[in-house]
Amino acid sequence: MRFNQQGRNFMSVEEKIDIDIFKVVFRAIAESDNLEIMANHLTQLLVAALELKGCTLFALNQNSQELEVLASFGLSMKYVHKGPLLTAKSIGATLEKKPIVIRDINKTKLLQYPDDAKNEGIGAIISVPIIFNSKAIGALRLYHHDAWEISDKDIDSMLVLAENIGLAMTYTRLLNAVQTIRYTVDDIQSIGLEPL
Amino acid sequence: MATQKLLLPYNFTRFDQKALDFVISTFGKLEEVEVTVFNAYTPVPEIETAASSVTGKLKGSLSYLSQKITEQETELKTIKQKLVDNGFADGRVHTVFQPRKKEVAGEIIDIATKNKFDIIVISHKPGKATRFFTGSRYSKVISALKDVTVCVVS
Repeated sequence: MRFNQQGRNFMSVEEKIDIDIFKVVFRAIAESDNLEIMANHLTQLLVAALELKGCTLFALNQNSQELEVLASFGLSMKYVHKGPLLTAKSIGATLEKKPIVIRDINKTKLLQYPDDAKNEGIGAIISVPIIFNSKAIGALRLYHHDAWEISDKDIDSMLVLAENIGLAMTYTRLLNAVQTIRYTVDDIQSIGLEPL
Repeated sequence: MATQKLLLPYNFTRFDQKALDFVISTFGKLEEVEVTVFNAYTPVPEIETAASSVTGKLKGSLSYLSQKITEQETELKTIKQKLVDNGFADGRVHTVFQPRKKEVAGEIIDIATKNKFDIIVISHKPGKATRFFTGSRYSKVISALKDVTVCVVS
C-alpha cells in the first residue's frame, strides 16, 4: 500500500514507463521527418511498451470541436472511424487540460460510444490532453484490454510525452504554413513576375 | 478500347467508403477499367538493439504489432471482395499493401507515376484540422501529377 500527496491510500500498481521506454519513444519522435510517420510510430511504440490494446493520437478541430484521428494503432478500422468524436460528449474534460482515467469502461458515463468500446474489447481508457501555449490542441488516448490501474507516475510520464507531441505538432503546423506560402509565391512568379 | 487503370487509395475512413461507392457506381459496369486498391501502412519502427533492456521489454509486443498490420491487410482484401461482389471481375481488381517511406500523398504520387495509372479516385473531407499538420493529401496529389484524371470524392 502506498500513499498519494493527499494522504489517501491506493493500491500499489506496476509502473510501466521508465527511462528506457522514454528513450525509445522520444527517439522515434526525433527521427521522423514528418508528422504522419512520427505519430504512427508513437502509437505503435506505446502499444508495444505498455502492452495496450490500442492507442490513438487526435488533433482538435477548433471550429467543429471534434477530435480528428491523426494516427491510430491496434484498434479496428470500424472502431477508429465509428463516428465524429465531439469534445462535449467524448471524455470532454481531456480538453480542459486534465488527464482522464477510466479504469473500467463498465463503470463510467463519460464515453460517447460506450457500446462500440465494449464490442471492441476495450476495458479501460486513459486520455491525456496535448497542450501548446496553454491551449488544448489534441489528445492522446490509450486503450487497454482489461480494467487498468495505471500508476500516478505513468500518468505524469504520459503528460510529459503529450507536451512534447504538442511541440512537434505545432512545429509541423508552422512548417506546413510556410511551405504553402512558398508554393503560392512560386505560382505567382510563374505567371509573369520577375524572380526575387 | 484500351484498359483504363484506376487507383483507389483507401484508408478505411467514411470518406474512403464514399470513394469506393463512387467507383462501384461509375466504373462497375465498364469492362475496360482495372482497379487497384492501395494502402500504405507505417511499418513497425526499428528499435536500436543495443538498448537490450528495451528490446527485451518490447520483444513480445513487437510481434503483436506485426499481427495488427497483417489484420489491416486482410481488411483491405475485404474491400477487393466488395468490388467483386458489385460487378468487377476478380481479375480486374488488385490490392497493393505496402510499407510507406514518406507521407501518404508521396506514396500515392509514386505508385501512380510508376505504374502509369489513368485515373485516381481520392477522398477528401473539407475543413479537416489535421490538414494543418499533415497538409492536404488531395491537393498535393493534384498538383504533382499530370496526364492523370483525378476524381475527388468529398
